[in-house]
Amino acid sequence: MADMADAILKFDNVTFRYDSDDVKLPPAVENLSLEINKGEFVAVLGHNGSGKSTLAKLSNGLVTPESGDVYVLGMNTKDEENDLKIKQTVGVVFQNPDNQIVATIVEEDVAFGPENLGVEPSEIRRRVDESLKIVGMYKYRLHEPHKLSGGQKQRVAIAGIIAMQPQCIVFDEPTAMLDPEGRRDVMNAMKRLNKELGITVLFITHYMEEACEAQRIVVMDDAHLVLDGTPSEIFSDVNYIRSLGLDVPQTSALAQMLKDDGIPIFGETLSVDGLVDSLAKILNRG
Amino acid sequence: MLKDITIGQYFPLNSVIHRLDPRVKLLYTFVFIIMIVVANNFVALAFCVACALIVTFVSKVPLKTVIKGLKPIIFIIVITSLLQIIYVKTGVTLVSFWKIRITSGGLLEALFLTFRISFLIVMSTMLTYTTSPTSMTNGLDRTFAPLSKIGIDFNIITMIMTIALRFIPTLIDEVDKIISAQKSRGANFESGSIFKRAKMLIPLFVPLLFNATRRAYELAYAMTCRCYNGGKGKTTMNALKYKKGDWLVTVLTFAFVAGVIVLNIKFGEYNAKFAFNSAV
Amino acid sequence: MALLQTENLSYIYGEGTPFCVTALDKVNIEIEKGDIIAVIGQTGSGKSTLMQLLNGLLKPTSGRVLLDGEDIRSSKAKKLETRFRVGLCFQYPEYQLFENTVYEDIAFGPKNMELSDAEVDKRVRDAAKYVGIPESAFKTHPFDLSGGEKRRVAIAGVISMEPEILILDEPTSGLDPKGREQILSLIKNYRDRTGKTVIVVSHSMNDVAKIASRVIVMYQSKVLMTGTVDEVFEQSEKLTEIGLSVPQITEVFTKLHTLGYPVSEKVYTTKQAFLEIKRILNRGKDNA
Repeated sequence: MADMADAILKFDNVTFRYDSDDVKLPPAVENLSLEINKGEFVAVLGHNGSGKSTLAKLSNGLVTPESGDVYVLGMNTKDEENDLKIKQTVGVVFQNPDNQIVATIVEEDVAFGPENLGVEPSEIRRRVDESLKIVGMYKYRLHEPHKLSGGQKQRVAIAGIIAMQPQCIVFDEPTAMLDPEGRRDVMNAMKRLNKELGITVLFITHYMEEACEAQRIVVMDDAHLVLDGTPSEIFSDVNYIRSLGLDVPQTSALAQMLKDDGIPIFGETLSVDGLVDSLAKILNRG
Repeated sequence: MLKDITIGQYFPLNSVIHRLDPRVKLLYTFVFIIMIVVANNFVALAFCVACALIVTFVSKVPLKTVIKGLKPIIFIIVITSLLQIIYVKTGVTLVSFWKIRITSGGLLEALFLTFRISFLIVMSTMLTYTTSPTSMTNGLDRTFAPLSKIGIDFNIITMIMTIALRFIPTLIDEVDKIISAQKSRGANFESGSIFKRAKMLIPLFVPLLFNATRRAYELAYAMTCRCYNGGKGKTTMNALKYKKGDWLVTVLTFAFVAGVIVLNIKFGEYNAKFAFNSAV
Repeated sequence: MALLQTENLSYIYGEGTPFCVTALDKVNIEIEKGDIIAVIGQTGSGKSTLMQLLNGLLKPTSGRVLLDGEDIRSSKAKKLETRFRVGLCFQYPEYQLFENTVYEDIAFGPKNMELSDAEVDKRVRDAAKYVGIPESAFKTHPFDLSGGEKRRVAIAGVISMEPEILILDEPTSGLDPKGREQILSLIKNYRDRTGKTVIVVSHSMNDVAKIASRVIVMYQSKVLMTGTVDEVFEQSEKLTEIGLSVPQITEVFTKLHTLGYPVSEKVYTTKQAFLEIKRILNRGKDNA
């Protein structure tokens, strides 16, 4: 499978629907194809119910497609014998930090994954310390999780995944329940593990400010993948993004309003500094 | 507030007993419970009580706290003592009225039982006072790990214990929050008839159960993502290691067993009549 | 006289234990009728404690809360009256839904007020209208609704008590942009149609800029600033210092201003920004 050399995660024409007792539910994900390459930082944007969280569950075989296939490093998630290897390769961090911490002491929770994998105790110790340091929670290693803030708990959960040494981590709205400080800390931890450990990141969110920090954004709507591009490309069509029930950054929104009013604005308008330059040019002309 | 309830009654101190391997503590507590039942005369019983007091003293847990731990069983002690006093008719009759005859044998029997039950409880609470819940779970896990060879999977049980310990504070927080929220909607949890108060449990327990179920599902997903498969092939980061002190206490435990047996044989089975006569 | 007012209000958690924490330290605020007040501040700044003191759920360690100039703890009757007149909707209120139908859940508060059946019915229908829940959904089980809908039903459960002051603790947290927009517009609508006071606790400066008339900034158990949105956002440096961020567009205009362009710094929404650019461009044309 030479074409998959660089794809760590590949969705091939995937359709999935949740079980229901009485009615046949519409698909949560339909005919979706997507490849995530090694080392990428990809954000998935979409409103609630667009199917983006299902993507997380499909990515490591928590659920398997009704039709189509999901491959992790070429391994099909439908193959039971690959199950442990797949879960070790693709880790998932969920939204509610409270509901993914298992142990009563921070470091024991981080050790949970490697312990299940049967890693040597001395190696577990090394990984636990290293993982906690990456997310900035080392000094809390002997604390009780329920006494930590939401952002701190979420970072412990991330360390718990890192300790399994995955090649890819899928984050399913990890910041949705956090305050601004917690969100910032979790964002920084995600960026660090992508940059310093080379871990591929698939970041599911509905905060567009956060999505803008990714290299690539994938937009989902109504079970389908509708856009795939760089943040500047994605937010160049402000009206379309809005029609999907998503926010646009204030910067892009202003640029669009000016364009709609017949005021030509050029250059990059997504970042604060970019927009300042572009506006400065207009004001100079005026 | 609900949060103030301590779980597992752990009394965090830094004593020799606290630092012992939890398996040793489980061992001597278990052995003590058996031996205090086996002890069949006052001398053997006194020996048990003395050993329990030594453990209490070394653990630095205040005696007051230990005695407070007996409060919940005072009722049981009183009832059993009364039964002994009423039904044991050996020795000398001390008081007799109506259909009740109190004998010296009955009194001594009651005294014997009171000590036996009290110190059985004292040693059990000493275990929880000196062992953190996490350490206890760890100890149980390691102690019963060999059972997996005969098909009994103790790992599941310790996992359940760990999760319970982990989520009790979270759920207590949640109860606090739900109570406040329903109070804000005029719910009255504090007054009214029993029927009215029972009805008020619905706005508390329905959301609590619903949320707990949701948490359980999410936790199951998270555990699966972290390769949990029921504990097969699991290793442990903080593997327990027997140290010198642990070996010493293990040896002392066996010495204790020997001591009780010797005293049992030497002084023979306690006999109320004999005990009273010799006391006189 | 302010409708609701605090006098040197303090609250200490776990007083007398070694773990005591001062959650609120001598807070004095005044809340007038008809305001939409945003209370902002980081987690642990005392916002949520203040809200629970305002409706009498917590008992102040020292200081007083005055409703119509009278201490809310002066009598048992006053205490109960306050519970209903100052309606508090907690964060993630959907986790407190419990009845079998949407209708019954919204009716829980009014029923506890011991109103007549007709009045309860009227209030449930009114409240549902305010939050945009159609009557066709009245028989639905609350747990079958979407996240955003559940949130709105829970808010209706407080609105149905028709409180004079509606307090919402982080009403938009965890919702997607569409859900957030719906909640914000329902808050504004509620105030506009009823003339009642709304207090919104929020982390989101964008949300605050969109709806608030006055802002209270909390920091380390104290009130750091109060004022109109303009007055507070003007001090963007101070806000950033205490870990709050100003809207992105405000940053853009502050930078332009510093670079010497004749733009105002008091720009918080894209609409204001657009008008400000237009104003300057038009002025340029007039001069030419």
